[in-house]
Amino acid sequence: MELEKNKLSPRKRAVNFLVHLLLAVLAVIWVLPIIWIVLTSFRAEKGAYTNTFLPQAYTLDNYIKLFTDRNVLNFPKMFWNTFIIAVICCIVSTFFVLSVAYSLSRMRFGFRKTYMNIAMILGLFPGFMAMVAQYFILKSMGLTEGSAVRLGLIIVYSACTGLGFQIAKGFFDTIPKSIDEAAVIDGATQWQVFTQITMPLSKPIVIYTVMTSFIAPWVDFVFAKVICRANADQFTVAIGLWNMLQKEYLYQWYTCFAAGAVIISIPIAILFIYMQRFYVEGMSGAVKG
Amino acid sequence: MATVTLKHVQKIYPSTENETKPKRRRKRDADEPAEPKKNQLKVTEEGVVAVDDFNLEIKDKEFVVLVGPSGCGKSTTLRMIAGLEDITRGELYIGDRLVNDVSPRDRDIAMVFQNYALYPHMSVRQNLEYPLKLRKTPKEEMDRRVEEAAEILGITQYLNRKPRNLSGGQRQRVAIGRAIVREPQVLLMDEPLSNLDAKLRNQMRAEIIKLRSRINTTFVYVTHDQTEAMTLGDRIVIMKDGEVQQIGTPQDVFNKPVNTFVATFIGTPQMNMFSGKLVKNEAGKYAVRVKDAEIELSEDKQKNLADRNTAEQDVTVGIRPEHITLDGAEGTVVTGTVDVSEMMGSSIHLHVASEGTDCIIIVPTLDLGERDLSAGTEVGFTFAPNAIHVFDTETGNNLEYV
Repeated sequence: MELEKNKLSPRKRAVNFLVHLLLAVLAVIWVLPIIWIVLTSFRAEKGAYTNTFLPQAYTLDNYIKLFTDRNVLNFPKMFWNTFIIAVICCIVSTFFVLSVAYSLSRMRFGFRKTYMNIAMILGLFPGFMAMVAQYFILKSMGLTEGSAVRLGLIIVYSACTGLGFQIAKGFFDTIPKSIDEAAVIDGATQWQVFTQITMPLSKPIVIYTVMTSFIAPWVDFVFAKVICRANADQFTVAIGLWNMLQKEYLYQWYTCFAAGAVIISIPIAILFIYMQRFYVEGMSGAVKG
Repeated sequence: MATVTLKHVQKIYPSTENETKPKRRRKRDADEPAEPKKNQLKVTEEGVVAVDDFNLEIKDKEFVVLVGPSGCGKSTTLRMIAGLEDITRGELYIGDRLVNDVSPRDRDIAMVFQNYALYPHMSVRQNLEYPLKLRKTPKEEMDRRVEEAAEILGITQYLNRKPRNLSGGQRQRVAIGRAIVREPQVLLMDEPLSNLDAKLRNQMRAEIIKLRSRINTTFVYVTHDQTEAMTLGDRIVIMKDGEVQQIGTPQDVFNKPVNTFVATFIGTPQMNMFSGKLVKNEAGKYAVRVKDAEIELSEDKQKNLADRNTAEQDVTVGIRPEHITLDGAEGTVVTGTVDVSEMMGSSIHLHVASEGTDCIIIVPTLDLGERDLSAGTEVGFTFAPNAIHVFDTETGNNLEYV
């Protein structure tokens, strides 16, 4: 590396320098908001508006208040609500997405193409178009009051995820069909092919699906707001954080909002760090090619 | 360890692949019937006939090779035996059992795929164990069989590797190993050697012959390579456009091709075809006339033709390159000019242009002496009377066997 670097002509060096400078500037622009929110979460001064960009004094009080002050906005409760919903949704919708993708990739049946077209077109509409309808459907099922709200949210978040099969299907399509056929001849059932052959070969896409299935309900605001309405008991973190920015709470809770924002990114980070070690080599060695 | 019987087996792929607009599509097909196609597969109202009226009785422990150009339906036939394709019509028996509607895993068959189809996330040992595990074989039995198969195929030292760390030849051995650990009744092989390079292919071909003597099972082998078919098969099934052309021993199909397709498909370089005439000479014997030469056929051929009361007619005369000799008695010699002369060592392949017909002659170098056969030389040649085949010009059928 060193040798090669020395060989570069002055012109190339200049170009390299400019490119890296540009990248550095972009990196700062992208990272800056995150740094700012992390710093703000440790800010000692109260309120939303300060005269300085960076905090003048640092404290852990914001985090402490976030978890101990349960009278007005019960953050631990919201965190728990959201966590339960997200975990269940993650499991259910991962199963949905992978099953739909697998059957569309591997099986041939009438209506298959039509279904894929319909799914594609439906996917073009924003999900919240249906939110009012969903609210009334859930209401008629009695899922909008008390702790049933959680179930309602789980249904809303996971029921339609099967439509998002495209990416996983694209991945399954790359696994040679002859591997499935070999397994079937070796004596595997379709279910065994799915669990013992296809799943281990599809780790990257399984991880991707798990991550997105977890993050979607974890950060969703719109549906949570519509379905929880004023059930403060059932609030998810997204609603809670939004409430912290309301006029009546703003002064007291602004820095706690920043702390909350940092806290909710932790489960996502943990999930990713845990999952990424399964990102191993994909298909090499299976077939000639 | 079982017979395989196919009775009038037919496979039709519905022509309405496009599920959403079948009507429009059919209409377009009707509008453009002359669309050039690679294969002349029959198209009926039901769809494309990929395999038509396939009849074959494979004996216990027999090695049968299905051979034909790509798209002839040989792989489809194999996949129907395996159960990976539905059988549209006809009956398939393995042993005495009708297996049309039996799922692949209950047919007691194993298959080797062209692209190996190993499980990349499993080690070689796990790959070999997988079919046994699914059948809940006891651990000791499983170990014994895996060791045995690995021994036979010489892959013992790779058992703990992953498929990606193996070469093509080794992978194919693992694939064969996975098929034989189960000791299946029928072993199906779908062009197992065509992904290997030429040298490895010859080596693996020999291995398969050896393998066959070590494991007692019925083999069905698909290939497009006629050399593989000739060297491996007890019997060869030659297919074209979904139809069986000829079934016979390698010797049979080589010496007694039923039509021009089989004649040119089997044997390299391929059989030369001349347009000529089948005539009866003064002695009342059948002879072929090619250009100015008239060659009387051998006794057995005389008999075959006489039995069928074959009339004098225009025919296609087929003769293999190795059955042409240079020079010959007067009146039996066809002349031509050498285009290309290929020195192969023990023999020379002469490409000769003779009044618009190109043909190949194999001349053993031993007989040649100092004779010069470079390009441009005029040569005369004649055919061995017992190796001449006469084919109907229209149907291409061998007149001796129609």
